[in-house]
Amino acid sequence: MTRSRVKNRIRRLRFDNSEMTQEELASRAECTRQTIIALEQGKYVPSIALAFRIAKAFGVRLEDVFQYEED
Amino acid sequence: MSLNQKCAWGQLAIFGLMVIGWLVLFVMNGTIFYWQDNSMMMTFYSISGAGFVLLVLMNMWATLRRKHTEVSSDERDRAVFRRASLWATGISYTTVGVLLLTVTITYMNRGSDTVPVYFPLFIVLVGGVTLLLTQSIAALFLYSRKVGDD
Repeated sequence: MTRSRVKNRIRRLRFDNSEMTQEELASRAECTRQTIIALEQGKYVPSIALAFRIAKAFGVRLEDVFQYEED
Repeated sequence: MSLNQKCAWGQLAIFGLMVIGWLVLFVMNGTIFYWQDNSMMMTFYSISGAGFVLLVLMNMWATLRRKHTEVSSDERDRAVFRRASLWATGISYTTVGVLLLTVTITYMNRGSDTVPVYFPLFIVLVGGVTLLLTQSIAALFLYSRKVGDD
């Protein structure tokens, strides 16, 4: 049985976007700062709605933020 | 640490202190089956009452603390709360079941078919404290683990 992993580039994109803070991203994505921290640490896989809001906050496509890998 | 995590720690501290108080009471005066007067029961209910008052005060503090300009609870908090509640429900139901069996078997062995009137409240209190304590521990554990990739 393959194991899926969802990776993200949130931290890199934050720094690329005028060093956006976690607080600011959380505000734009309508979630808590702790959720942004958990996402960056790979401890949380967001819902599709949150994933889209984060991508919209960066002004990029969903695939530019989140990558789906199978082991 | 999010506000929900702080509340979980607060609940853990409050109910942990309650359980310690109960254990000290049981060690010093025996379990509820051996209490001979009302003072032990009043002590038990006082410890329980104090714990629940602290819980209410903590929740009032958390409500006042929530800033209306920012998100205080999101989908991750709800996911953690759902899983923690499942664990808490299962463990508290098991605890109540075990307590009911223990009481029934104890009094049957004594040849009695009646149970003192304070036992139902005792079992409900222990079940409630187990529920909230387990929920806090499960929530804190789940916050530190990976959630959402099932």
